[in-house]
Amino acid sequence: MSPSGFHQLTAPLSLARRAEFMLVWVLRVATWTILLAGALVFGTIFFKGAQTVFQTSFPFVNVAFLTESPESLYVFEHAGTTYELSDSEFRAFRSSLEEAARAAGEAAPMLQSKTYVYAAGGIFPNIVGTLLLVLGSMVIALVLGVASAIYLSEYAKQGAMVRMIRLSILNLAGVPSIVFGLFGFGLFVIFFGWNVSLLAGWFTLAFMVLPVVITASEESLKMVPRGYREGAFALGATRWQTIRRAVLPHALPGILTSSILGIARVAGETAPIMFTAAYVMRDKLPWEVERFFDFFFQGVMALPYHIFVVSSKIPQNEYAEHVQYGTAFVFVALVALIASVSIILRHRIRANQRW
Amino acid sequence: MTEPSEKPAFLTSQKRNWPTLAWERGIKLFFGGNALVAVLVLAMIMVFLVREGAGFFRQNHANLQLYRSAGLEFVEPLREQEQTHIALSRYLFDLRVRAAEFYSNDEGLERGEVNARLAPIDDYIYEFNDAIEPLQSAVIDLSDMASEIKVEALIHAERQGAAGGPGGGVEGIPFDFQSARKPLYVFLPVYHDLNHQFADRLLALVTDYEVDWPTTDINARFERFRSLTKDYVQEFPAIERALSEWDGDTPVPGWKAWSSFLTGSQWLTASFWQDWYGVLPLFLGSVLVSGIALFFAVPLGLGAALYVNQMSSRREQSVIKPAIEFIATIPSVVLGLFGIVVLGEALRVASQQGWLEWLPGAPIAERLNALTAGLLLALVAVPTIFTLAEDALQSVPRAFREASYALGATRWQTIRKVIVPSAFSGMVSAVLLGFGRVIGETMIVLLCAGNRIAIPDFTKGLEVFIQPVHTMTGIIAQEMGEVVQGGIHYRALFVVGLLLFGLTFLINYIAQRLVRRYRVSLL
Repeated sequence: MSPSGFHQLTAPLSLARRAEFMLVWVLRVATWTILLAGALVFGTIFFKGAQTVFQTSFPFVNVAFLTESPESLYVFEHAGTTYELSDSEFRAFRSSLEEAARAAGEAAPMLQSKTYVYAAGGIFPNIVGTLLLVLGSMVIALVLGVASAIYLSEYAKQGAMVRMIRLSILNLAGVPSIVFGLFGFGLFVIFFGWNVSLLAGWFTLAFMVLPVVITASEESLKMVPRGYREGAFALGATRWQTIRRAVLPHALPGILTSSILGIARVAGETAPIMFTAAYVMRDKLPWEVERFFDFFFQGVMALPYHIFVVSSKIPQNEYAEHVQYGTAFVFVALVALIASVSIILRHRIRANQRW
Repeated sequence: MTEPSEKPAFLTSQKRNWPTLAWERGIKLFFGGNALVAVLVLAMIMVFLVREGAGFFRQNHANLQLYRSAGLEFVEPLREQEQTHIALSRYLFDLRVRAAEFYSNDEGLERGEVNARLAPIDDYIYEFNDAIEPLQSAVIDLSDMASEIKVEALIHAERQGAAGGPGGGVEGIPFDFQSARKPLYVFLPVYHDLNHQFADRLLALVTDYEVDWPTTDINARFERFRSLTKDYVQEFPAIERALSEWDGDTPVPGWKAWSSFLTGSQWLTASFWQDWYGVLPLFLGSVLVSGIALFFAVPLGLGAALYVNQMSSRREQSVIKPAIEFIATIPSVVLGLFGIVVLGEALRVASQQGWLEWLPGAPIAERLNALTAGLLLALVAVPTIFTLAEDALQSVPRAFREASYALGATRWQTIRKVIVPSAFSGMVSAVLLGFGRVIGETMIVLLCAGNRIAIPDFTKGLEVFIQPVHTMTGIIAQEMGEVVQGGIHYRALFVVGLLLFGLTFLINYIAQRLVRRYRVSLL
């Protein structure tokens, strides 16, 4: 498209055309700058994180990182070699040394070690915690959200009531996540006395994502042609029968995929769960509870909160970086997986949906 | 499913169908009830923010009242006087450092020689520092006294509270501040003498002594130091007057509890002296960081929306739109981590390059500052702005564009004169919603803004961008975990949350109004 590429007999570009040409390029550069910035973030997390999560030898995935709990790392020198051992390994190693020393009748050697918190072990409880939080809040948000959307799109008549509901939804979408955190803390943790628990986190997150789910569901419901409903009514179906048999089946794929995008955003939020559901450290896994109901009233470790802790609460060094990038990689991969499935499915559904 | 009745529906009586009808009504009620959840949640957010935060202003009033009654307010001017002297000493010492640098770098002197040269200057600095000593020890004594009164009053109040039930013996006996404060007033004549001695000493130091500085630049700075010190000394009579006129018995007016929160310049908690809850530094920090974010995000977001909607090919669109949606899903805590480990350091290293020295504020001293956070927040705001602006552009009727082309307008003219004006309100509302998104963002500012609680120094021009700041969202996230439930600090955080909520509510409202009022349609 460059001006020099034109044939010598074509008229030179007018000033206006030149300006337009420049403008297109300025805007194109702006657009690709955004994509580049996004790619830079993803790329950094991906390449640095891959070094933690994957390894060059069999089984190529750092299994320990994905299946163990976070532990402190002990770095020390003994008999000329440098050891990097996790808390439990370190204790075993020390007691084995002491055993050997006792057998030989000598004093046990002192190990001068440096400790790095959270640098050893893995992030298994965090993955489990995040999945639990996402699943629970997803169920609550979908039930509430889809029901609201059905009311708004199928039952409600225009009026003050509906206007208020819509206004609330719009405003709820703009409430900052930290305010949801405060609200969840005030209502669930303190007023209901649930303490820092899964249940409190579920409801806080669900309320946060509610506007997204309602809007997405309503949009999908609206896309089902009127004729479907009218056909059902003409056959004598009641309103609920119409919704259940003629509307929902066609809207459901759209509802689910659009909502998943909202869910992905919920999974990525840290502020709302900081005071409602997340623990910095917990040595029990969520299913290790005495009674069934305790399951709902326990705090969990979560990936985003772990990233926050390891990136701001502990000294920065290479070991910390190892954990930071590894956790971020797993987290981003999880969120991106959910999001990309949703985005791709949605575009495909839109392309295929011909009524 | 119900069996179809033999008669047409309008002939069957409602009575026979009542189970179905009740069922239908029940279902409708269920859905309607769910729809009300959104209203309920919004109302409950307000109720709980207010419920937890309401007591703050009463507590803050008591806090301020105690500050006055216990005489802390009386000692405050003296402490300020001391602080100013320390600042002047620091200024003087900075001159010494400059002189030492000059001797060792420009004249190439050895360390011992430099120290020998600077010996008279050192003597001068010592003299200046020592001048305040008599006054200083008095101020320390007074501070201790006032703090003690405060502690005693608090203990007294606690005992009263403990015994305050029915039949509590000491109930209703207020703490006798007046007599407790008496020793403070005894100090006034002593202060008068000390102050005079101090003033004379300082004036003698800045007028009579000549100090031998090596360069004209430092000499000029020293002249400035002299005039600053003279100004400082001139303030002394005012301080004395303020002390003698001070009255600890006048009650603190109620509005002070509000104004000290809204316009207070300090957010100081868990201090041994006095806690301040002034939201201004946090508010300005939030505004500054959001401003930086929008500075980058608005041109990029709107530009990209224009480009994708008006100029790009279908293929390009199918790449860019999902990609930007994808950027929106990057968790903010991951962006914060990126800021800590990559961006902050990269910016600092970049600013240290020689060819970038002309930039204001280069080289950057703090790795984590408003700029680092602002850049990352821009990445949060861009998808919001892009998506909404693109929607607005999309909703401009095709006929507008076609009519413009039919009149012979070029593409650029069409965009500028027809499409952008039609979509303008939508684009403005996109920017506003982007602003709302950014000002409510927590993790990025908590991790990357530097978390220094101070009003950004706007007098420094563009350098304000690289100062570390603290924000409203950041302070809640940082301090909520470690406060006593029901205490004044706890309630203060809820009030900050309420402020944040109100702010985003307002932004949302304006954005919605804009879109509704100026929506363009063919009809």
